Amino acid sequence: MKSRVAAFTFVALILAALIAVALATGPKGFGWGDSNGLMLLRTPRVLAALAAGLALGIGGAAQQGVFRNPLADPGLTGVFGGALFGIAILLGLAPDIAWQKSWLIPAAAFGGALTVSAVLVTIGGHGSTARLLLTGLGLNAFTAAGTLVIAARSGESRELLTNGAYGDWLGMATIELTWFPALLCLLAALLLLTLARSLDLLSFGEDAAKGFGCDVPSVRRRAVLLTALAAAAATCLVGQVAFIGLLAPHLARTLIGPRHALVLPFSGLLGAALLLGADTLGRGLWPQLPLSAAAVTAILGAPVFIWIAKSRHE
Amino acid sequence: MSNAFVIRALGLGVELNGRRVIDGVSLCAAGGTLTAIVGPNGAGKTTLLRALAGLTPRTDGTLMIAGADPAQIGAAEAVKTRVYCAQRPACAWNYPLTDLANITSRPEAFADWLVKLNLEEVIDRRLAELSGGEQKAVHLAFALSQLAEPFGHAILLDEPTDSLDLRRQSAVRLALRGLAQSGAVCVIATHDFELARHCDRVLVLAEGRLIAEGTPADTLTPTVIREVWGVDLTAIPSSR
Repeated sequence: MKSRVAAFTFVALILAALIAVALATGPKGFGWGDSNGLMLLRTPRVLAALAAGLALGIGGAAQQGVFRNPLADPGLTGVFGGALFGIAILLGLAPDIAWQKSWLIPAAAFGGALTVSAVLVTIGGHGSTARLLLTGLGLNAFTAAGTLVIAARSGESRELLTNGAYGDWLGMATIELTWFPALLCLLAALLLLTLARSLDLLSFGEDAAKGFGCDVPSVRRRAVLLTALAAAAATCLVGQVAFIGLLAPHLARTLIGPRHALVLPFSGLLGAALLLGADTLGRGLWPQLPLSAAAVTAILGAPVFIWIAKSRHE
Repeated sequence: MSNAFVIRALGLGVELNGRRVIDGVSLCAAGGTLTAIVGPNGAGKTTLLRALAGLTPRTDGTLMIAGADPAQIGAAEAVKTRVYCAQRPACAWNYPLTDLANITSRPEAFADWLVKLNLEEVIDRRLAELSGGEQKAVHLAFALSQLAEPFGHAILLDEPTDSLDLRRQSAVRLALRGLAQSGAVCVIATHDFELARHCDRVLVLAEGRLIAEGTPADTLTPTVIREVWGVDLTAIPSSR
């Protein structure tokens, strides 16, 4: 119990420190050299990274809970790919109206993420880890190819979509673009927290959970819907970022145990810290040639992913 | 008179993938009784138990448990009329037992059951650190702790003594008798003849049909066993 409070406090302090560093980091690198005006300009970017990281962390933990599988991650199972594909379809079909309403792009992302989730649950939801991940692999490849095809054919959105595929949208965060998806991230995260006990019961298997009084189809439906919403909203803010939804829950489980009432919020905190840290590192290390948040998470996350896979089979 | 029955299942039929797995099985059980379902592998014991729990949709028959059909009411309501524990529970995450107490709806009852099933010495371990039998006992404790009140409720257990050591097997038998004495109906699918002989009534199932029904002495006879299992009991010293 004590160690859990300590772990929460520790991550909260790290997050606070990261926010301070992120607000201070500018085109000249780390440091407090810039004026307050510049700090205000950076606020949307920091907020976007925090909201997206929160949604990615909780969304990853929820998806792992629903599939009862520590390797499920909206990045690997193609849900992010679906969200970006949804955005690509909107930009490809109706580039003129896409920016007229602030909810249009998030709605398109949600549609894409939900479609991929539905296919994932139908085909890969009841079988083995291999089946789930192979289905995800296929969906990932398909949506990535679809996004690239649309990007290649639409001149004006080409750079935008390519940047999205590389997870490099944080740089264009403004309050106008950020507020609505950030709100959706927060909403999805809060609603996912209410599923904590059901996800605990579900960890005993569908049958046992039903026997324990858990309305499994309804829980599954809500979790998939909310994870898709979290993934879609996060994609609108950063583009595609893999590994956060995988790393944050894994770290959370190692630090505070597997109970979802703790894992979900803790994964959210860790996700926010990881994404903000990655973004700040990416633009602070080489200010002239900034790296995208997704590139940094992949560079740091991929070895950890391999380490998880290795330690699971020992 | 019929109201005395906690479980009233009439003419149950279940089809899975076009195959008739349960065919016209009826089971009525009053509060305070222990019923065992026995039969060879693949006889349909688990399916019958799942159908009784409302977890497997049935194609025929009517079912009432404590005045409601568990397949018709929601899962949250059904758990108030019956508890169900699967044969081979597997948990996706490595919970400490102390966390499981927080997950169950009735932590005190869970702690009581851990003691009743001789698990108090492993209480600060995690699930993966327990043996298969201990995990099974924890799962039983978790399932049974969901029951607020034994009286007038059904307890449906699939192989409750499977992989348990002798001490825990006898603890389970004792606990089931205790639950029955408090007015619950226990229905158990089992291969454990020791447990079946401890029950008030035995249903012998083969290929989804009821072959014999009655007291253990009437049903678990060498004749029935030779007919259903194809085994000559005199050759097995322990069961006589």
